[in-house]
Amino acid sequence: MRVIIAGVGNVGYHLAKLMCAEGQDITLIDTVQDKLKTASNQVDAAIIKGNSTSYSVLEEAGVSEADLLIAVTDSEDANITTALIAKHLGAKRTIARINNTEFLYQKDKLNLKHLGIDEIISPESLAAKEIKRLLKEVALTDSFEFEKGVLSLIGVNIDDNSPLKDKSMLEAAKLNPDQTFMTVAILRNSETIIPYGDTRFQVNDHAYFVAQPDGIEKLLFLTGKKKEGVKDIMILGGSRVGARAAALLSCKQYDIKLVEQNPEKCFELADELPDVMVINGDGRNVNLLQEENISKMDAFIAVTGDSETNIISCLVAKNAGVKKTIAMVENMDYIHLSQNIGVDTMINKKLIAANFIFRHVRQGEIVAITSIHGVDAEILEFEVKPDSKITQHQLCDLQFPKNAIIGGVIRDGEGFTTPGNFRFKPKDRVVVLTKPECIQKVESYFV
Amino acid sequence: MKFNFEVIANLLGLLLLLNGAFMVLCLPFSFYYREKSWWAIAASAIITAACGFALRYFTRKGLHKDLKKRDGYLVVTSGWLVMSLLGSLPYLLSGAIPNFTNAFFETISGYTTTGASILTDIESLPRGILFWRSFTQWIGGMGIIVLAVAILPFLGIGGMQLFVAEAPGITPDKLQPRIQETAKRLWLIYFGLTLLEAILLFAGGMSVYDAINHALTTMATGGFSTKNSSAAGFSPYIQYVLIVFMFLAGTSFTLTYFGIKRQFSKIRKNEEFVVYSFFILAITTVVTITLLFLTDHGLETSFRHSLFQVISLITTTGYVSADYTSWTPFLSVLFFILLFVGGSAGSTAGGVKVIRHVVLFKNSFLELKRQLHPSAIMPVRISGKAIEREIVFNVLAFIMIYILIFLVGVVLLSAMNVEFDTAFGAVATSISNVGPGIGEVGPTDNFSNIPRPGKWLLSLLMLLGRLELFTVLMLLSPHFWKNR
Repeated sequence: MRVIIAGVGNVGYHLAKLMCAEGQDITLIDTVQDKLKTASNQVDAAIIKGNSTSYSVLEEAGVSEADLLIAVTDSEDANITTALIAKHLGAKRTIARINNTEFLYQKDKLNLKHLGIDEIISPESLAAKEIKRLLKEVALTDSFEFEKGVLSLIGVNIDDNSPLKDKSMLEAAKLNPDQTFMTVAILRNSETIIPYGDTRFQVNDHAYFVAQPDGIEKLLFLTGKKKEGVKDIMILGGSRVGARAAALLSCKQYDIKLVEQNPEKCFELADELPDVMVINGDGRNVNLLQEENISKMDAFIAVTGDSETNIISCLVAKNAGVKKTIAMVENMDYIHLSQNIGVDTMINKKLIAANFIFRHVRQGEIVAITSIHGVDAEILEFEVKPDSKITQHQLCDLQFPKNAIIGGVIRDGEGFTTPGNFRFKPKDRVVVLTKPECIQKVESYFV
Repeated sequence: MKFNFEVIANLLGLLLLLNGAFMVLCLPFSFYYREKSWWAIAASAIITAACGFALRYFTRKGLHKDLKKRDGYLVVTSGWLVMSLLGSLPYLLSGAIPNFTNAFFETISGYTTTGASILTDIESLPRGILFWRSFTQWIGGMGIIVLAVAILPFLGIGGMQLFVAEAPGITPDKLQPRIQETAKRLWLIYFGLTLLEAILLFAGGMSVYDAINHALTTMATGGFSTKNSSAAGFSPYIQYVLIVFMFLAGTSFTLTYFGIKRQFSKIRKNEEFVVYSFFILAITTVVTITLLFLTDHGLETSFRHSLFQVISLITTTGYVSADYTSWTPFLSVLFFILLFVGGSAGSTAGGVKVIRHVVLFKNSFLELKRQLHPSAIMPVRISGKAIEREIVFNVLAFIMIYILIFLVGVVLLSAMNVEFDTAFGAVATSISNVGPGIGEVGPTDNFSNIPRPGKWLLSLLMLLGRLELFTVLMLLSPHFWKNR
């Protein structure tokens, strides 16, 4: 596939890296030579210096033969213009990044698809959605449901009082005789490990499981956690992400406090969000946080524009006894540090946006796809086709790629984990966790 | 920073496997001409492949480690050295060149597409061995690393590092977004042009064997011939075919690619190509006129010899159609200077390269203007586009180091009791990968009389020239080996 990426910021760079691992033909356009140079040292892509809204630059990039153009520069206007021009010059699909969420929520007023933009993405609203998803369960650092929850992917921290610590996968399986959950990945010091039978859990590991509904409780028991819901939430920062997250959450069963420094902005937010208590103050002021009862909060979400403030205030919240903390950070390299320093989850809106686009360009029989924060792997849900390679042998004889693992299967609306002698049938839906470089190999099993 | 020795050794093993496979391709000629030396080629192929296999086998675990920039430079330089060592086996085992120094010199002269030979009677060698001699040039022309990048998918971004370290020119042009696809196309064009030339030579009455050999060494701008008299004994038709393909081989393969895709405007706008063509024409005119006045050759003969010799030297091929050093002192000096021109960047030619001269001259000229307008920003423009200051500095440093190495080389060689003009000629021709020089290493002589240490020195110079100085010199700097 020929892909043109306009704008080599964080989103563009991350996307280029993901797609490069897949072996796509990538052309990068940016106005800054240094950015291009840095990118071309890490990514096998052609680079063109210039403004992506220019006809000649787009033509030089081979836009007429491009299967996909992704406009992710810093400027919303440039993105829309680039996508429009590219579409008219012959690009098959265009994706533009926007900041103004009105484009997303009032689609009827301006039909962008009709104009030539096939997809618009807004990192802010994606981040808000991600926050909502992360808040579902306090004990879990991450969760993702397949087919309305008949199978879930969950992330749990292995701490000192977990019965699982120092157990190998085989020993862990003995503690779980019904095989209601399956370990699919371990994040250890920023390294993603796909576990085998003799891999052992260690303290401070961040383990990811695919579990049946009855397996979640068993898993919480085995990891020494208690099931708890979220009720009280404090959001720090009335940025676009903060406001969107508050709006998304306020229609639910949550009580939300939103702390924002700028009084005028507070007023606007209070006007926009009637169900949210908007508090004017500096989030770095610990007294203020205590006054607002931070210790009674179930979750603390720091989404100001300043990464350091977000991280530190999350640490303050954690110290005050908040069970779940989420910090938004600008620097992607911080993300895998989150567990080590005591923030439950760090999110980066650009990374989320890049992953979202990456999901969009996947083709074939993939039903759903997601990725987890800090883990260098993708989770995919495939539908099994008749006569595909995966139906031909039992699971243990399939010689499935080493850097990928089958987490479970959904058959006739029921989810369960897969033992070694399992044999897949057409129409089964299979949940697979795979490292990016293996995606195409994994896909070949489902064609 | 540590080196990933496992990956490096693994890649070296791979290069040797490829090299072993190439040796096998020489066997058909040995069999066809019923030569006893076939076993020497077979044994060399087996030894080379076995070494390669062993290297790969013992380092198979490290295969998936990343290849860093400095690993790339180490792979390329050590790869060329190891290949030259094992590539000399056919000469040694068959007894064609029994002396190790000579065999190594002949091999590295082949791989670096220099074409400097120590052989006094080329035609007495077995045909299979001679084919290997031509083949080393063809392998080295486009570069074995580029070939490895073309056929190995797993290198990824590491492939880019290797490509940059081997491919000639200032900044490599990518024909395709992915380096592997670029490398594939380059080799395809290379292979296609070689085949076309072989057919045209065959049509001109050459034997199949000679046609293939000369096609291989022309496209590589190597200059090894299977004849003692090089290209002097060929018909005018064949000489013209050689002229055309030497010219193509000295042109950037990126431009040839555009030509094949019928994007001629890109060729016309390419400043390096325009300068390269006009320079050849201008010098040829001067030489033709000189020859017309000084010798009793006719117009066509004068023109043909002039064009042949000028192109042969500028593209660093080194074929000889006549003993040009015996014409006049003026032309000898002129041809000596041509050794420093070099072909285009992105071609198989060696030397300084036309583009660097263009940058050098433009920058020098701009420097005068800059003196008058100290605050003006005046970038050097190539093909209408301003190029970065870093590139200009890189070019200046390159030419400076080139001259320095040339001078040091001449001093060292003359210290080994080599005559003044011979030393100048041998060093210039080696570092520029041309082949024949002046003096005792002139077009009708060879390098067999250079003292043994001198041959090693010239071998090093050839490698420096082929890998464009920096890749090799970097390994000699203490900075490279520091754990930083």
